[in-house]
Amino acid sequence: MRMSRKMRRTVLSWIALAPLVIAVLFPFAVMILTALKPAGEVLRPTWVPSEFRWQNFITMWGATNFGTALWNSVYVATLSTIIALVAAIPAAYAMSRYRFAGKGAFQQFLLVSQMLSPIVLVIGLFRLVVWLGLVDSTNSVVIVYAAFGIAFSVWMLQSYFATIPRDLEEAAWIEGATPWQALVRVFLPLALPAMVVTALFTFINSWNEFVIALTMLRTQDSYTLPIQVFSLVAGRYTVEWHHVMAATFVATIPVAVIFAWLQRYLVRGLALGAVK
Amino acid sequence: MKRSLLVNPYVLVAPGFILAALIILWPLAEIANIAVHDVNRFGVLRGYVGLENFRVIFADPEFLGALRRTAIWVFGIVAGSILISIPVAMILNGDFYGRGLARVIIMLPWAISLTMTAIVWAWALNGESGMLNSGLRALGIIDRNVQWLAQASTAFPMQILIGILVTIPFTITIFLGGLSSIPDDLYEAAQLEGANGWQVFREITLPLLKPFVNIAVVMNTIYVFNSFPIIWVTTQGGPAKSTDILVTYLYKLGFQYGRLDDASALSILMFVLLLAFTLLYVRLAMREEKA
Repeated sequence: MRMSRKMRRTVLSWIALAPLVIAVLFPFAVMILTALKPAGEVLRPTWVPSEFRWQNFITMWGATNFGTALWNSVYVATLSTIIALVAAIPAAYAMSRYRFAGKGAFQQFLLVSQMLSPIVLVIGLFRLVVWLGLVDSTNSVVIVYAAFGIAFSVWMLQSYFATIPRDLEEAAWIEGATPWQALVRVFLPLALPAMVVTALFTFINSWNEFVIALTMLRTQDSYTLPIQVFSLVAGRYTVEWHHVMAATFVATIPVAVIFAWLQRYLVRGLALGAVK
Repeated sequence: MKRSLLVNPYVLVAPGFILAALIILWPLAEIANIAVHDVNRFGVLRGYVGLENFRVIFADPEFLGALRRTAIWVFGIVAGSILISIPVAMILNGDFYGRGLARVIIMLPWAISLTMTAIVWAWALNGESGMLNSGLRALGIIDRNVQWLAQASTAFPMQILIGILVTIPFTITIFLGGLSSIPDDLYEAAQLEGANGWQVFREITLPLLKPFVNIAVVMNTIYVFNSFPIIWVTTQGGPAKSTDILVTYLYKLGFQYGRLDDASALSILMFVLLLAFTLLYVRLAMREEKA
């Protein structure tokens, strides 16, 4: 029997994709299998553990100080996202609705700050944080994330806002609504999905950030998750790899699921922003 | 009152601008100031020295090594990810069973923070107990354990490969956007003319994909240039500084060697480089808009 065309293409496609698929899945297999190994087997280079130790996730929690770091990450990511959005929404609204002197300059400022990663500014940022008296405070990280989040959020939001037709608000004005009413009743409901998506991306960026947290946070009590997990590995002679992998798994997977689900919106927003 | 606030764009833009400017422009000004001064290791400015710090940086063999490796790092990852992403995006653009699953799998690395990815790889590449060694030995590809991260000859190429793997998802997404913008009738016309697959690729797909390739090159160059966690987590620039790139060298200058003045000069240099990339990006994006 001959295979149908689509069946043939399926086989060929998967064969061609196989090397990449294996390379992508390999670290996930390493992470999950190590996280489930009994402590005595971790250093033995076998693939499959003799038994799956689900308790590793429980012992990891205490051994790695996971709770504190999780709370710090939640606090930092949530607060910085709220600050960024509260500042970015009106700015993005103005950018998408009005022409004003200095608009081009503001746009360029946003673009450049998007391209700058915090690492290039890290010396100056550290001095700023010292000056504010916030070294080793999670709030130092909140401020920096919020500022970089603003650049990103305005960029994302304005491209979405621009796709919401202005006529809708103008129609509401003509019918006697104040600009404020038009904004709340007409514009905001249409813009809500874009705001949610932007908020989630800002949250994930803050959740994943490394360099700034590494620089500003000096004690375990203030570590966010990436720094906490990194500190379990860096400069240690004995590393409890099964705990580290369990911690990596718990710290990563929930955010990864949200991200996988939202990915297409990110690209659309960035692409729209790029040609505006 | 409410009306005037809502209609005045400056009021709307002000909060965001002020916060972003405080956190981005103030440190930039501070760095520019430190870069032309002599600074002791406690951060106290001692005297104006002009471009002396820049001279010190350019005379530093560590800087020259990091600069050279940054070029290899950026070129390797950007070129590698684009060469892999074009065919993969074309496959994913076609219709086959399990396409949704394939897309999700290939996008996965994008969803994980670089720090965590790097930590998992550091363990997978462990010389004694790492699962890459045991996997490759089981397949008969190697017969002795390779100390992947403990020697310069394998550490840096491995880091570049990890970099390629995490850069592919973003690149593919750009290309998928590009491929879906190519009208189907072009392909149909080519088929009627009797063009073979390679001709279709060279004469239709590649030229129409070119603006998207340009965007991917510039954006990836900026991201990869700034990328810090992969190298810092796996080797911290070692062994013997053989994997330092500009960002890790900058971090060491500032926070390990206490050479704040030189570190600031280096920051300014990197800022100028990034600005050049950004301008290139804007020009490409604008040309895109006109076309």
